[in-house]
Amino acid sequence: MSMPEEPALAGDPSAKPSDSRRGTRLVSIALLVVILVAWEVAGRNKLINPFFLSWPSAIGDEAWKMLISGELAANLWITGYAYLIGVVLACAFGSILGLAMGWWRTFGAIIDPYVVFFSAMPRVALFPVLLMIFGIGDVSRILIVFIGVVTPIIFNAYVGAKQTPQLLVDAARVFGYGSRQLFRVVVLPAALPYLIAGVRTGVTLGMIMIVVAEFFGASSGLGQKIAVTAQLYQTPQMYAWVLYTSLVALVLVRGADYFERWAMRWT
Amino acid sequence: MDGLDVESICKSFRTSHGTLPVIDRISFSQSQGEVVCIVGASGSGKTTLLRILAGLEKPDSGSLRLAGHPVEGPGPERAMIFQQFGLMPWLTVLENVLFGLAPGGLSEEEKLARARDAIERVHLGGFENYHPKALSGGMQQRVGIARALAVRPRLLLCDEPFAAVDAITRQLMQTDLLNIVTQQKSTVLLVTHDIEEALFLGDRVLVFSSRPARLLRDVKVDIPKPRSHEVRVTPEFQAMRGMVWDILQANQ
Repeated sequence: MSMPEEPALAGDPSAKPSDSRRGTRLVSIALLVVILVAWEVAGRNKLINPFFLSWPSAIGDEAWKMLISGELAANLWITGYAYLIGVVLACAFGSILGLAMGWWRTFGAIIDPYVVFFSAMPRVALFPVLLMIFGIGDVSRILIVFIGVVTPIIFNAYVGAKQTPQLLVDAARVFGYGSRQLFRVVVLPAALPYLIAGVRTGVTLGMIMIVVAEFFGASSGLGQKIAVTAQLYQTPQMYAWVLYTSLVALVLVRGADYFERWAMRWT
Repeated sequence: MDGLDVESICKSFRTSHGTLPVIDRISFSQSQGEVVCIVGASGSGKTTLLRILAGLEKPDSGSLRLAGHPVEGPGPERAMIFQQFGLMPWLTVLENVLFGLAPGGLSEEEKLARARDAIERVHLGGFENYHPKALSGGMQQRVGIARALAVRPRLLLCDEPFAAVDAITRQLMQTDLLNIVTQQKSTVLLVTHDIEEALFLGDRVLVFSSRPARLLRDVKVDIPKPRSHEVRVTPEFQAMRGMVWDILQANQ
């Protein structure tokens, strides 16, 4: 008897929040349209200096040309692989060093001041040094991403390993795990939330580092394109590159969000 | 000797204010299948004694023998139930129970069979794939109990196992634990500050002084098993309770 009624009951309350969410989404999109139209009108009528701001349709044109000519793909690839190698190396090295510092307390205490100094230092200060040593090229770009990303990873792993609850270590020891196994079965999983938070920070920070690095020392790549088009006052192209860079960063941040949620699904 | 022999164990901790003696020449023995409860004030060194027996700490002097073999470090013939459960939050109920069996040399099928059997014994069938966070405190401790039971230890060490669960759950779980250990004829050493719990569960109750812990009295609990919780209101039970209370008070 009550069976046919249930879907209706279940469907009703859920309809309201999704309706209001759709409403908010619509207002957001409408606001975007208003801003774009106002910008377009102001730009075309020279109400704002086109050198500085250009206008949406001009930017869109350039963005489209880059997409179909393959210029976007080529530069995305150049930036992408240096970024990826730098971030992966930093995550691996930083996690191992940080976990080791947390697990072997004496080692951690010895290394700690160096890590603190290195992380306090504005690492962009090392760009000229790296460029001087390694020249303009992949090695410099990868190393710049690496030094930018590695410190938050080290710190997170260090804190993560240090905070491993003694109770869990005791429990594992009682049930016969030796000190070598303890690292794998307790310390690593207990530090995982911290490691993931570190990777999340690293993913965003790495994007900033590679773009800034390419401003100074690269012959192609997203950052280099932004710098060159700005110097040549190719304003619409510059904004198109900024737009693509932002989209890539957005995808990375959202990806990191999903990764974090997936990896932490037991909490 | 099949059981546990504890002989004049001493332990002190070094602090910034000098050495702090926590255990002072504790000796007792316990036969196979016997349930012994240690009762004493909080911070009296009871837990330290249990940690020594588990192999987590070393005594300053004295000797420990289980079934004739000296106890040095943790071993699979002993298992422990922790006050704050000590479950791995990233593992499911089943994985947590298997966790206790992992270092042993059992086959995968044997581990799984033992884990499932232990989970059934603590009435957690159907919750195998839950993570600890999704369970109540009482259920989490049932996982802790299942993990210890699955090992089939010669000696089961319990450190205030019900101190972190609510009063109603505590009574139910005490009865459950009593039934399980009676069925399995397990040797149990349980530390508590709850006199009633000690008398309800124990064949013997060891009354400890406050720090440093000394053995004040070894009380035999002459109540036949299985016990139901109505036993708590009997005059014999209340008399024993009063006696233990007096010993503890006289020591304060």
